[in-house]
Amino acid sequence: MEIDIKKLPVDIGVVYEGERIRGPDTFVELGGPKVEFKAELTQVVDEKDVVDGKITVIGKDIPQFTCGEKVPFGILLEVYGEKIEKDLEGVIERRVHDFLNYVQGFMHLNQRYDIWCRVSNEAKEKGLTFEDIGKALIWLFKEELPFIEKMQITFMTDEEKVKEHRETALGLYEKRDARIRGMKDEEVEEFYGCSLCQGFAPNHLCIISPQRISLCGSISWLDARAAAKVDPDGPNFAVPHGEVLDEKNGEYAGVNEAVKEYTTGANERIYMYSMFDYPHTSCGCFEAIAFYIPEVDGIGIVDRNFQEEAVNGLKFSSMATQSGGGEQMEGFLGMGIEWMHSPKFFSADGGWDRIVWMPSHLKNRMSDAIPKEIIDKIPSEDDTSSLNELKDFLKEKNHPITQRWKSVVTDELKEKVTEYIQEKNGEIYPDQASADLGLSEDELMNVIDVLQKDGTLG
Amino acid sequence: MGKVIAISGKGGVGKTLISTLLVRWLTENNIKNILAIDADPDSNLAESLDTEYDKSIGDIREELSCKSLPPGVERKKYLEGKIFEITVETDKFDLLVMGRPEGPGCYCAVNHMLRSIIDSTTKAYEYTIVDTEAGLEHLSRRTTENVDVMLIVTDTSRKGFKTAARIKGLLQEMNIKANKIFLVLNRIKEEDKEIIKEEAKLTGLDVAMEIFEDPLVRKYDLEGIPLIKLPRDSETYKAIENAMESAEWM
Ligand code: SF4
Repeated sequence: MEIDIKKLPVDIGVVYEGERIRGPDTFVELGGPKVEFKAELTQVVDEKDVVDGKITVIGKDIPQFTCGEKVPFGILLEVYGEKIEKDLEGVIERRVHDFLNYVQGFMHLNQRYDIWCRVSNEAKEKGLTFEDIGKALIWLFKEELPFIEKMQITFMTDEEKVKEHRETALGLYEKRDARIRGMKDEEVEEFYGCSLCQGFAPNHLCIISPQRISLCGSISWLDARAAAKVDPDGPNFAVPHGEVLDEKNGEYAGVNEAVKEYTTGANERIYMYSMFDYPHTSCGCFEAIAFYIPEVDGIGIVDRNFQEEAVNGLKFSSMATQSGGGEQMEGFLGMGIEWMHSPKFFSADGGWDRIVWMPSHLKNRMSDAIPKEIIDKIPSEDDTSSLNELKDFLKEKNHPITQRWKSVVTDELKEKVTEYIQEKNGEIYPDQASADLGLSEDELMNVIDVLQKDGTLG
Repeated sequence: MGKVIAISGKGGVGKTLISTLLVRWLTENNIKNILAIDADPDSNLAESLDTEYDKSIGDIREELSCKSLPPGVERKKYLEGKIFEITVETDKFDLLVMGRPEGPGCYCAVNHMLRSIIDSTTKAYEYTIVDTEAGLEHLSRRTTENVDVMLIVTDTSRKGFKTAARIKGLLQEMNIKANKIFLVLNRIKEEDKEIIKEEAKLTGLDVAMEIFEDPLVRKYDLEGIPLIKLPRDSETYKAIENAMESAEWM
């Protein structure tokens, strides 16, 4: 199909990209915040289901509106190409925004079910129709994405039709999101770096992967990728992750190289999924901070909005000052809250089984991220206010962390306790014994537990 | 296309008056695409322009930064739409209010996106007038680093001149590129005219406008009448008109 864009009533070109159509210059508003139903959707379809170049309009076309109207709006792009897979739908859809803005007198904002378009009075005067816009779109898509072989477009302004279209679209966006959420670090070639916080944390570099959102929570892997593309000299750049050096901890050769380069050697290696040994650095503007609690061998998390002291007696602000600045600090890790949704969330350290404290409002907010079996076993400020209470709570609820306590009973310890019991002819008093042995009562009971289980003690 | 004029100066010297009348002058000279940005949390450009706003960027910053978006939705595009949504559109100009600066949270990423959005937004307007505070924080961190003309307003007080000189230094420090920098003298009294000229010389800046003390402006201020409504033949508006008509920098 041949399209001659020179024959269209308005000009098409990148120069119009930033064009702003102000309210008073607007002929009709399509979608936007004042209109309930609107959506744009791209679908990859079979070859037989698409007539290349076909443009359909359901409802009124531009010339039929009266000036100042705000109307429902739907766009459906159906594409076919031998090399196009479903995964590309999002990528293609993202370009609708760019290309529609190339049309003189047409403005496009937002994405998905939020789209907001305006047609200028001037464009209307020139006789612009959806057919013209469709032609321009198809032409632009094929110019820029040559893997598209066939494309047809449907524009909708009929309320019922748009409503229906929006319903379908909502379901498909969700599927698409689920696919992105399921994307694994191992499946991509490139992670992204962000050096924006180096202004105040010179040794800090965020490494953003599909399964690890940025510390500030504002930049996902897709955001970073988009930013790196439009502004190659900006703060976001690709980091080819290279060889996997340590799968469990998430150590990648390419990441180490980038960290070394961007921190001028101050840091040399990082683990993506752990807070121990070589943790990711923290800039100071993370949404939440995770802190190691040695007394229970677990990890607590406190977010910026929690003003009181966390269970370790420290406030978010003082932990943030201590651990921020771009130093590698074992036992402290700044993080984006969304990371909790990721299967790689502290995966090297035991994941959710290792989390032993969170403020209640954060627990509520993230309740869909926390495994059901454990959510009630993680105490908040409502349950505990000291480390002692914390320990009791965890024991009482049988939090998985208690398994770890047992496993840290060393042979040496067992021997020591067995000897002591023999010395006392089996008659021991917990308080006396723990004092003699230099253990807490809990620790002593733990050892005895283990000894009973393995049959050393009857 | 896309000229950005920033107006700065010590609080209370009449920045908002100058910003307002510049907007007014542009609208009266047939400029259709004008954006006014209120980047001074302590001023009230909206009121002075006789319009109202619903939300400032400060009001929605938290949401912009923290809202969890579905993974397939780009944050920057989302931001762009939100900013468009809170931009006030009047018949003659648009207005964007920056509002209060951020709280303790982290907004590096959002501020960075904001700046790039506002930077490209200003390119879409013929003129952007930015009313900005003396510290220039808002301007450099969240608005734009590129201004074509910086007008530094001062009244005849020592402090006003001192601040003016400091702003000149700040521009460099904060890496703001201003093609041209001028001084605007406001509230001059006839008898002080000569001394003020001497003071102005000391700042090393050329004077773009000289505005004499105007009881009418005082009256408007006192009674809370929007300054944009100053009569055409008021001394102050005439002074601005004169200065603008002969301004080579426009
Ligand atoms: S915290 Fe956010 S802004 Fe700062 S470096 Fe990381 S991604 Fe960039």
